[in-house]
Amino acid sequence: MGLSLSAIGMLIFGSVVLYGGLAYFLYRALKSMKK
Amino acid sequence: MAAIGSAVGLGNVWRFPYVCYESGGGAFLIPYFVALFTAGIPLMILELSVGHWARSSPPEAFKKIGKKWEWAGWWTVLVPFIVASYYVVVMAWCFSYMIYSLDLRWGSNAEIFFKSFLGDTGSPLTLGGISIPALLGLVVIWLLIFLILYKGVGRIGKVVAITVPLPTILLIILTIRGLTLPGAIEGISYYLTPNFSRLLDVNVWLAAYAQVFFSLSLAQGIMITYASFLKKKSDITNNAIIISLADAGTSFLAGFTVFSVVGYLSMSQGISITDLGTRIAGPNLTFITYPTAISLLPVAATFFGMIFYIALLTFGIDSAFSMIEPISSSLHGKWKMSKAKATAIMCTLGFFASLIFVTGGGLHWLDIVDHFVANFGLVMIGLVEALILGWMYKLSKLREHANKTSEVSIGRWWDFLIKFVIPIILFLLLAIAIVNNITDPYLGYPWWVIVLGGILPCLVIFLLSFVLMKIKRRGEVA
Repeated sequence: MGLSLSAIGMLIFGSVVLYGGLAYFLYRALKSMKK
Repeated sequence: MAAIGSAVGLGNVWRFPYVCYESGGGAFLIPYFVALFTAGIPLMILELSVGHWARSSPPEAFKKIGKKWEWAGWWTVLVPFIVASYYVVVMAWCFSYMIYSLDLRWGSNAEIFFKSFLGDTGSPLTLGGISIPALLGLVVIWLLIFLILYKGVGRIGKVVAITVPLPTILLIILTIRGLTLPGAIEGISYYLTPNFSRLLDVNVWLAAYAQVFFSLSLAQGIMITYASFLKKKSDITNNAIIISLADAGTSFLAGFTVFSVVGYLSMSQGISITDLGTRIAGPNLTFITYPTAISLLPVAATFFGMIFYIALLTFGIDSAFSMIEPISSSLHGKWKMSKAKATAIMCTLGFFASLIFVTGGGLHWLDIVDHFVANFGLVMIGLVEALILGWMYKLSKLREHANKTSEVSIGRWWDFLIKFVIPIILFLLLAIAIVNNITDPYLGYPWWVIVLGGILPCLVIFLLSFVLMKIKRRGEVA
């Protein structure tokens, strides 16, 4: 049994919000630290 | 880093995955993110702003808000001390299990092993004897907390440089292993397949707010204390967002770790995941379900057992010492007691308070105290904190303070969330908890057990916060 399309959708949704958001704000923090 | 370590703890592993699965699977992510952005991050910004602005421990910070509010600061630091007294016990169990995993001592029936390890009497009414392995673990963990804290912030920085990334790396290793096991995808499917109809249930939304609130170490004086150590130019808003997303991201990852192994266990033993029920959460997950699955691993079971418990220990240790730091900082701040002395007093008191939880009836007392302190103590403090800072102080001053140092500016919407949305949500959580406990006493325990283990600790620390406010430091004029 594989993952349903809706489960894959939630996996992408969760990953983008959490890890994408975290990466973005860490990047901003590092950028402002360099300044 | 220390704030991330404090927020990310055992609850991320043993609470979030189960709440998510129970509350609509992947669909739960929607209320969870709404709760994170409308309550978790705004409250985190509020606590970091107060600590950074006051540059002092919670009681002093609340005193700066208004002299009569000092008690609220004491209240916020006393509750995590109570939480630490039983949280450390769970870590002591993890410590023992880390050693047991060398020879997979729990054997084929982890449930019976766990009960005999605790010397469980089956009732809070019979204390029975003390579990010696748990007691030894307790001594080790309290000693570790003392050694980390007694020298002050410098040592905390060095410790979290290891204890924050290490468990995350271990969790990733466990997840990769879990995902390669047969049945793992079915487990993940249970975790992620959304049931959108559950979004119409108000309890699912409240569960999301409760999860965010408990997971982020809010209303415990921890973030206020840590923010007081931040550099003057530290970006408050960015820090708040990073801490919150790191915490939520760890919870989301832990769901894969847990459900991949649960899927494997379900397939190996022919039990449906639905039938596992609450065995996917709390101590049942950590000390019964997961060890059972580890024993079934075809290769390197000892290795994966070890890293599972090391991950839990390192996740837990930052949270545990962050619960002691606010009270020892507060004692140090008010009575100019040395940090080592304040830490030694609190660790010793904490150790003795923990003893009841390593008795044969300890598991039941732990469950009762946790239920009441989390559902009533923490929620009430969160509510009082939002009301005092939102209504008794010019909130815009704190917003301006946060904006002064932050790259991302917060607007008036933040004031609205702190003044209206968060108090309403916390009030609802509190009201529902009260109604539920009156109509259906917690797990059917006798009323006096609930009073002794649940209501009394909450009441004592509430009254104690006023006593601590009233005691003057030497030379201080009333």
